[in-house]
Amino acid sequence: MDIFCLQEFKDEFYKLKSKKAYNNLTSEIIKYFFNKKAEDLSSGRYLNNNTITPYIKKRLKGSGGYRVYYLLIHKTGSIYLMFVHPKTGPMGAPNITNETKTLLYKKVFNCIRKEDLYKLSILDKKIVFNKN
Amino acid sequence: MSRTTLNREIKNTSNEVREFSFKQKKELLSKQEIIDQFLDAIPVLKKVLADRTKTLEDIVDKIDYLTTLGKPSESALLKINDLISLLRDWHSVVIREYVSLNSIRKLKIAKEEIKSYKSAIDDLKEVYEDMESIYFFLPGMPEFEETTKEISMI
Repeated sequence: MDIFCLQEFKDEFYKLKSKKAYNNLTSEIIKYFFNKKAEDLSSGRYLNNNTITPYIKKRLKGSGGYRVYYLLIHKTGSIYLMFVHPKTGPMGAPNITNETKTLLYKKVFNCIRKEDLYKLSILDKKIVFNKN
Repeated sequence: MSRTTLNREIKNTSNEVREFSFKQKKELLSKQEIIDQFLDAIPVLKKVLADRTKTLEDIVDKIDYLTTLGKPSESALLKINDLISLLRDWHSVVIREYVSLNSIRKLKIAKEEIKSYKSAIDDLKEVYEDMESIYFFLPGMPEFEETTKEISMI
């Protein structure tokens, strides 16, 4: 699967990665998202009642772990990481608002249309973000 | 109260005190026995908390699965609304139980189990709030619905 992300995801990823409490974020993202088929990434909480292009909220590392928001487009075999936040620790948050969920959703659609996204790959166990 | 009744009550109470005192004197717990009983109770408490955590996590997984089944009918939506109320009630029960664990938490007993239990309780709250978003609030937001239509055309 091709993995893309929004600027918001990249920014949050680097912010979290710089904190000691979240030093497992990179490995958790790699473990869950990379080298997977669409069906492996289709579990989670669907926010848009849509099974063809689900907007998914996924719990990584259990209850107190991370929440990753992404769009899965089965037709193109691509996923679009939109946002990530931890549940606990210094930057922990219980949830994001409906307005933020909507904003990210609109943003991902616009960025797909304009091809304004980062493509993710792995190099030496690190995630690399390349602008399209 | 008549004098006879008073005398009878004093006698009954004295008998009870005598009996309890005698019984306890015979079964007096040594300091070591008190510590042993306390230590025996810790694994039991840990197991109870781990089981409760697992139950909460399983329910959250089942609800996640529900959300993957597509748009609900009007009658299904009514049932979902009832389910949200049930989850909300359950949350108020488990959060009260968590608060009652405060004294144990201060002693740092079953620290990891209590932490996991709290995370699972928070997850329960998160899931019923998300259900409200998914089935009631987000479909009522025109921008969200419009984006769903646009994305489905990609």
